[in-house]
Formats: sequence, structure tokens, C-alpha cells
Amino acid sequence: MKYEIKGGRSFSYIEAQLNPKESLITESGAMASMDTGLNLRSRMNGGFFAGLLIKFFGKESFFVNTFTNESSKPQSIMITKNTPGQIACIQLNNEDLFIQPGAFIAATAGITFKLRWAGFASFFAKEGLFRLKISGSGLVWVGAFGAIVEREIDGSYLVDTGHLLSYHQGIRLKLQLAGGLFSSFFGGEGFVLNLKGKGKITLQTRSLDGLAGWLNPRF
Amino acid sequence: METTISLGPSNTIAEIRLKSGEACTTEAGAMIAMSPDLSIETTTHKKGKKGLGKAFKRLFAGESFFMNHYTAAKDGNIFVAPTLSGDIFEHQLSGDKIVIQSSSFLACDHEVDLDTGWQGFQSIFSGESLFWLEAKGHGKVLVSAFGSIYCIEVQDEYIVDTGHIVAFEETLKFSLSKAGSSWLHSIAGGEGIVCRFIGQGKVWCQSHNPSNFGYALRPHLRPRK
Repeated sequence: MKYEIKGGRSFSYIEAQLNPKESLITESGAMASMDTGLNLRSRMNGGFFAGLLIKFFGKESFFVNTFTNESSKPQSIMITKNTPGQIACIQLNNEDLFIQPGAFIAATAGITFKLRWAGFASFFAKEGLFRLKISGSGLVWVGAFGAIVEREIDGSYLVDTGHLLSYHQGIRLKLQLAGGLFSSFFGGEGFVLNLKGKGKITLQTRSLDGLAGWLNPRF
Repeated sequence: METTISLGPSNTIAEIRLKSGEACTTEAGAMIAMSPDLSIETTTHKKGKKGLGKAFKRLFAGESFFMNHYTAAKDGNIFVAPTLSGDIFEHQLSGDKIVIQSSSFLACDHEVDLDTGWQGFQSIFSGESLFWLEAKGHGKVLVSAFGSIYCIEVQDEYIVDTGHIVAFEETLKFSLSKAGSSWLHSIAGGEGIVCRFIGQGKVWCQSHNPSNFGYALRPHLRPRK
């Protein structure tokens, strides 16, 4: 499979070319346009009950789609997402990746999805009750509202809620106040995520909640 | 009429340079800045012409009732841009015809003939507006979109999800279809109805779907009191 991320940082989309019999897994509704030799099969995200949980608590879709090239020639597909922003590709080599709600866009075949309990702390931080665990070897695409920043962390690192996109296995999340009680609530940061461990994380430079928070008083 | 498109694909702007005596037509409200030697005329149809029929049709197409015509007394320029962030592309018409998703029209040469067309009942379900703008004749047309614009040269058949069509050459016909071989999977998979273009010609697509962005933002917004 060949792919290219096009459209710049602000309106990224993925152009992927699938060889005969190759497949691509995408978030529901992510296809913008495609060649007619591709067939779409949709299946429940991790089974019926897991799918329901993902839908209502994980902010992801109930279904994921698999596009398979059933023709004898290479076929192209354009994959996009709902919000403007950058798309990044993450390579997995037989490891786990955790993705925050709403960030998943696509993955190569052979990647498996599992839903994991993220805890009430995560829920209160508006990061969802569940988190998506992605395992295996292949490519995963995640999308941001805004641009994407990658960081390698070792030890402890604080990230504002709504800005974390993904983190590798070996990193654990804890919710805490940004500072003391006063600065946390009057300094505008509130809760932050404390990431502990060693590995790679991706962040988004803007958050949809931030935009909505700015827009709300103006309506 | 000479044009320069810059700052794409996120916050694109188009500069239109007019020589003395030349004129161009823009969507109402698209002008950002212009030289003082350009005169504006607002009509319901072409410059110097009235025609309420076409204006009413345009209203149905989700376009504005009036259009602005700029005529250059001396050489001058005008900058135009759409409301939403996104790309702009230019198409040179030489006797051919393109069909534009109505809210995507930005500006055109005064020689270009604009009309609102009915693309058949399939438009009702196409996720686009019911009526489409048809541009034909000779000259340049500027079209805007939400997101990046990419052009596909359709050879035989091509599928575009509803909400992603910006414009297409009239040599293409579209029908409503499903993504893949099963309606069930297409609908369950969130793609629902898609547009299948048949024939030979170009289709311009937008990378993002403005309504989907709206739906993504909506749960974060407070209800209006």
C-alpha cells in the first residue's frame, strides 16, 4: 500500500492506494471519495457490546469500515475526518498504542482494536470513560483539530485535557489539578493529565472544546 | 482578467486583475479589498440586465439573490475570498460547461454565463443543495471549498461521498449509489448514500465536509436560549 498525507497541516487528508486484495480499516464516514473497485464492509467496533460502549462512552463510532480492493488493479481512496487539522501516521511494530476519543482515522489491516476502561478520572477530564487500545504491526493514522506535536517522554509530563491524541504502551494516565486549587481554577487550566512512563506521545495544538468555549458566549 | 490564487489551501485568497474596460462577476459579499477605479453594479442577473427568474432560482440554490459586477475604469484589482476556511481553484472555460455546488461559486469572468440548473431528483439525497450552478461560455471561473480541493480525472466511474462534491464537468453524469456492494454496509458504515460519477471528465472534491464539522462541534456548543 502506498499513501500520502496531502492538504497541508490545516486540512490534511490521506490519499491511499491499495493493491489488489489489500484492505484499509477506517473510522466510520471517513471516506471522501474512491475508485469503484473498492468494496466497503462495515463491522461493529470490537463486537456488539463493545461497539455500543465505544459509541456512547468512547465518542468513537459504533462501526468501523474495511475497504478492500476486490479488483485486479491498484485502487485509490481519499480518507478524511470531520474537523480541519493535521493527520499523522504512527508506525506500530508489534506494540500497543492508546488513542484518545475521536482521534482515530484509519489503520492498515492486521491492526486490532480493543476497548479499555479509562477510569472515572478520564471521564471527568472529558477524555471519555473508555480508551481505544490499538495493537499489532502496521500503520495507524490519527487526526487532530489543529496541528500535531510529537514528544518523547521519560518520567512524568503534564498535558492539558483535550490536547492529548495518542500515547504508546508503557505510559499511564493520571488526572490531577494543574497547580494549587487557586491557580488551577482561576488560571484557566483546571485539570491536566499527568503522563507517567517512557514512550512517544502526540498532542494537538488546538482543541474543539477550546473553540466551543470561545464561541459559546458569542451566540 | 488575470488571476492569482495564493495562501492555500487553508485560508486562500484570489486576486483578480482587470484591465481597463474589463468586468467580472462575484458572489455577493466575496470582495475583501479592491482598487478605487472599479465600479460596482449589483443586479439580479448579468451586468446591465435584469431577470428575476434566475435570481429566484439562485435563491433556491442557497445562493444570494443579487450578484456584484465590477467594471474597471482603469487597470485595477480586486481580492475575493469565501467565508469558510479552504481552498480556491480556477477553471478556464472554452465553450464547455461545469456544474458547481451552489455555495462554492466565488467569481467569474463577465463573459461566463451563469445559470441555476436542476440536476434531477437525485440531488435531494446528494447532501448538496437541490439546485446547482452551471457556468458555461468562455472565461475563468473561481470556485471555493471547505478544506483542500483535489481534482480527479474520471475515466469510467468514480465514487464521491455526499458533501464532498465541489464541481464537475458536464460530460459526467452522477447517480446515487452505495459505497461497495452492500447497502447495509454502506449505511452502517456511515457512508450512506454516495454519488457515482459516470463518464469522462473532471470532478473537483473538497477534502472536508462542512456539515460534518458542524455536527462535530455541535455537542460542545451550548443551546441557544
